Amino acid sequence: MATINASVTINSDISSYPTAISKTMTMTKSANRSVGLEETTGLRTKRFTTTTAAVIVEEDELTDDTAHKVYIRNASTSRSNFFYVAYNASAAAAATAETIGKLYGGDWMLMPFDGRIGITVASSTATEVQFLEYMVFADGIVAAKG
Amino acid sequence: MATTTATLSISSPNLMPGSPLSISASATLTKAGVTDGLTQLESGVISMVTGTEYKLGPLATEMAGDAHDIASYIYICNTTTEDATYYIDWGIHETMIGRLYAGDWMFIPWNASDDSAEIEVEPQGGTNTIEYAFFNSDFILTTAAS
Repeated sequence: MATINASVTINSDISSYPTAISKTMTMTKSANRSVGLEETTGLRTKRFTTTTAAVIVEEDELTDDTAHKVYIRNASTSRSNFFYVAYNASAAAAATAETIGKLYGGDWMLMPFDGRIGITVASSTATEVQFLEYMVFADGIVAAKG
Repeated sequence: MATTTATLSISSPNLMPGSPLSISASATLTKAGVTDGLTQLESGVISMVTGTEYKLGPLATEMAGDAHDIASYIYICNTTTEDATYYIDWGIHETMIGRLYAGDWMFIPWNASDDSAEIEVEPQGGTNTIEYAFFNSDFILTTAAS
């Protein structure tokens, strides 16, 4: 059994009463919260040179309705450019109801994922290269079909 | 100008044998496309009964800006300590995306492109308690009834 810990720290002085969030979770299976996740699709880095949407997480690769976690980071630095991130098998356009958000340069996200539909991304720019780093911590990977 | 930083650490000594995992990421959260810091914050703690869908945070029309395509970030933690039957389905509008189990947290950018892109949460298994924080720059208050 693997042990995977994820910690978040958020500090802000937006209000005069400073915000300081600090939380750690251990990633565990949906069927037994005392058993750690044991599978991953691996840590990947992808270079984007166009605005064409691309699937980064295939829905048929993962067991449905379990405790997957998806980590994504825009590894570029420009705050002018971003990636759309969508819960969608086909596109990551701004207007789709399934668009989750925009990851600007340096931004990261970690979210629970049910594995029912793929995750797509699309770069906002074709004139500047952007890099995306991502990893799925899986609660059930479906073996590749022959 | 306010400064909001979000830092992530993911570690595992044994997920990938022979290759300990250590991911670190830090983002300074800014307004869309610029380097100005975010200026507004909404946070709270809510207990929710099972089987009902709740809207979390504002609608797009409750935020300023023409396209509402602004930079918003959301942190949610399920602080429930019950077993694996307790979790929160979370999603965008009517599209559920993942399960936030007891003790789990998530941090995502939120597109908020229109009023059909609201954050939804639906507790399962019993009463779940969450703590949440929205970081943004464009919340507007609803006009009071006369």
